[in-house]
Amino acid sequence: MALAIGCGPMVETAKFPVRPDSVRPADLLGPYDGIVLDADTDRPVAGATVAASWAFERGIGLQAPLAAREVVVESGVDGRYAIPRLTDVPGAELPAGASTRLRRFTLIVYRRGHVAWRSDRRFGQTGVSARRRDFSQRGNRVRLEKWQPGFHHAEHLVFLGGGDKVRAAAAWELQPAAMELGGQEEGEKVGGGEGEGASARHVAPLDIEKLLTDDEIRGVTGFVGKFEDGKLADLPTTEFYDSRHFKAVGKPEGYDVGLRVWRLGPAASEAQYRKLLEELPGAHSTDEMGDASLRARSGDINGLAFLVRERGVVASLTCGVSQCPESAQLLKLAKLVESRLPDLPPEPVPAAPPGTGAGEGGTP
Amino acid sequence: MTGRSLVRARALWLRVVALAVAVVAAAGPARAYDPATTHAGLTERSVLASGLHKVLARRLNRPLGLFEPLRLREADMDEREARSLRGRLGTLDPAGGYRPAADGVASALSWIVAGSVIAGTPAERGRNLFYDPARGTGLGNAGDGAAFGHAVRSLLDDGTFRALATGTDFNLTGLPATEWLASADNDVGLAAFSRELEAAVSEADPSARGSALARALLALGGTLAVLQDAGEPAHVRNDFTGAYLGGAGDNPFDRSSAFERYVADHYGRLGVPAAAPVVARPTVMAYITAADRQGLADRTQRRFFSQGTLPEDPIVDRETTAVEVMRDARGSLAYGLPRLPRLELRKMGERRYAFDGPRRLLAYERVPGRVRFFLDDAVYADTARVLLPEIAAYGAGLVDHLFRVELAISAKDGTVTVEAHGASGALDGRVRVYAEDARGRRTELGAGAVVVTDGAARVTVAAAPPSGTRRLAAVLRGRDAAGDLVAVSESPLP
Repeated sequence: MALAIGCGPMVETAKFPVRPDSVRPADLLGPYDGIVLDADTDRPVAGATVAASWAFERGIGLQAPLAAREVVVESGVDGRYAIPRLTDVPGAELPAGASTRLRRFTLIVYRRGHVAWRSDRRFGQTGVSARRRDFSQRGNRVRLEKWQPGFHHAEHLVFLGGGDKVRAAAAWELQPAAMELGGQEEGEKVGGGEGEGASARHVAPLDIEKLLTDDEIRGVTGFVGKFEDGKLADLPTTEFYDSRHFKAVGKPEGYDVGLRVWRLGPAASEAQYRKLLEELPGAHSTDEMGDASLRARSGDINGLAFLVRERGVVASLTCGVSQCPESAQLLKLAKLVESRLPDLPPEPVPAAPPGTGAGEGGTP
Repeated sequence: MTGRSLVRARALWLRVVALAVAVVAAAGPARAYDPATTHAGLTERSVLASGLHKVLARRLNRPLGLFEPLRLREADMDEREARSLRGRLGTLDPAGGYRPAADGVASALSWIVAGSVIAGTPAERGRNLFYDPARGTGLGNAGDGAAFGHAVRSLLDDGTFRALATGTDFNLTGLPATEWLASADNDVGLAAFSRELEAAVSEADPSARGSALARALLALGGTLAVLQDAGEPAHVRNDFTGAYLGGAGDNPFDRSSAFERYVADHYGRLGVPAAAPVVARPTVMAYITAADRQGLADRTQRRFFSQGTLPEDPIVDRETTAVEVMRDARGSLAYGLPRLPRLELRKMGERRYAFDGPRRLLAYERVPGRVRFFLDDAVYADTARVLLPEIAAYGAGLVDHLFRVELAISAKDGTVTVEAHGASGALDGRVRVYAEDARGRRTELGAGAVVVTDGAARVTVAAAPPSGTRRLAAVLRGRDAAGDLVAVSESPLP
């Protein structure tokens, strides 16, 4: 036997406006749209993960979650995103029940190299975040701030939240986050204690300088010009990531070589490799080296990335078609890098077992 | 059925509905922490302030600690449990970061937070999250009328008679939270925590161990949720009828607590303040209540009013003196504490506050014929500011308490020795030792009772690890002065 009291859910009044210049509350059901921008340059950010979720609750007096709906898109080349109205999302029927209410809508934007953006809160580096007051349903402007070396991945991951896709995009942060909670941070001394073998060790940024040299590139490709050595500018060097940019002097980009290395540990490196496979343009598995490898291509740039599980390392090598006209050259350079991986400085240990005299201090 | 009887039945039914609507319309605001935001945020603060990250990384070989991905496989649970958990976990908001992925994977931290949210899912489970430390009782004494009214509201909300027919309706009674915490029926309580933590080391299959650890962490979250509600005034002052059913609004089904909404809206999950200095208590239950009255429920009950345990509005007329007003107000209190301080009643129509030190305790206003007592946003703000860091601190202490004993494993000359450190007082129990092969499978190597020699509690198992052993693991089930415990550890062989 059933009673028919009430059908659709109550929809709470949104705490954000329908537009940036309006005081009229938004419609929680949507639709939503906006643009993702780099906060420093005001340029559109393409390929950012944009996750929208609606939370339903139920109960008279005592209340509890009842259901949730999620839509995940990516910002386009112009940085724009659009989330349909919930009632227009295929298969997302609204839950019923007299006390059922749509309680929250949350938008999360994540792009690696930037601080995550949430529609409800701002990232606070002390672990407690302030309320966001500049979110709007339509015409929203998401200004992504660059990630700074002093920020904490552990706090960032807690702040981020998000469903499967957001967490997959941020999986590379797991290892540094774990190390921060373990009491080891960039520039911090770990170890110590008394007894044989105990010593203070400085956790330095990852340095991949030894993995590949100008001469080795010349030896493989036959290039006779000069390289200007530097770092690729998209991500800062940390103890888990480093890059090299071999810029051919006086030559176009097609002569450049780039190397990126992530040393993240087994779980996070696996996730990082999967992410590259999903995100690099034209990426496809080739499994020609390492435990897994892929090839990708974007314009005049060829790429090869590989995973070495035992070392928890993912390396990505790019070479312009003018420098590496043959695919075997890129493979040869990548194998050279792989052979040098044992030369990397020792990996910081996230947590030492009891009795080794290491790493008690520095709990945040 | 004849036409006349149909008409009679319809008339009767209309009367029932009219009565139901009248009862429903009398429903009022409720007070409880919001599971999806406040409970989740408190749990995160507690766990991050505790030593659990290092426990997971060092003792349980989970290098990413709180961020270690763990998969909960339905195949490792019985069908009923799997169905219940699937349903409840499936309600969680992805934005919170604690909803497991479709393949059952979530981080260790996410499992704990999810456990604290589903402890109150569905909402009726909240009936067992009340505890009155002055009387040692759970939710009750609401009266038949209130219980009937709520049953009718629930009936109309659910749309079926299923709950009434099966006796699972919420009749405004519940187990004391302390009892529920240890109950075998609580799938995210202490019993589940101990059982699954043991299995997280003793199961032969590595996937099964991962599932068991995820289940243990869910139960840890559920345990924290019980403690967190001991820091909610209505939950420790037996205040469902007053706080939850006391007012009226436009929509009889739109009932939520002003205090809950205040905390959820102002703090959310991410704005919950960091834990105060971690609180250590002698036993698990002492975190909630104890003879020294320093349990969280004890402290909350004596320091805060809830909506339904405010003083009754005293009558004021020309002949009434201030002393009489105070006497009437104090005499109406259901609990002796907090004390009602002296009131300022000279001005009519002016909102004033009674303070406990710098903190607003309650608001009051003299209106024609009486003095009105109430709680407003300013009181809520002061209440939350004091309570939230304290709740998180008690939670962090409870987590550390549950993992207080550490096992050190060593193998030498055909024996494996396990030493227990950190026990509170005399330790009694039994240790089982496991050997793990290259495929990650474990077999029991031996077991023994804890023996105290030279001031150290240890177990020696006369069994050499078989060749190919990569790792040793040990589980202690026992008891110390702080109560029952399960301690686990793993150690790689050199």
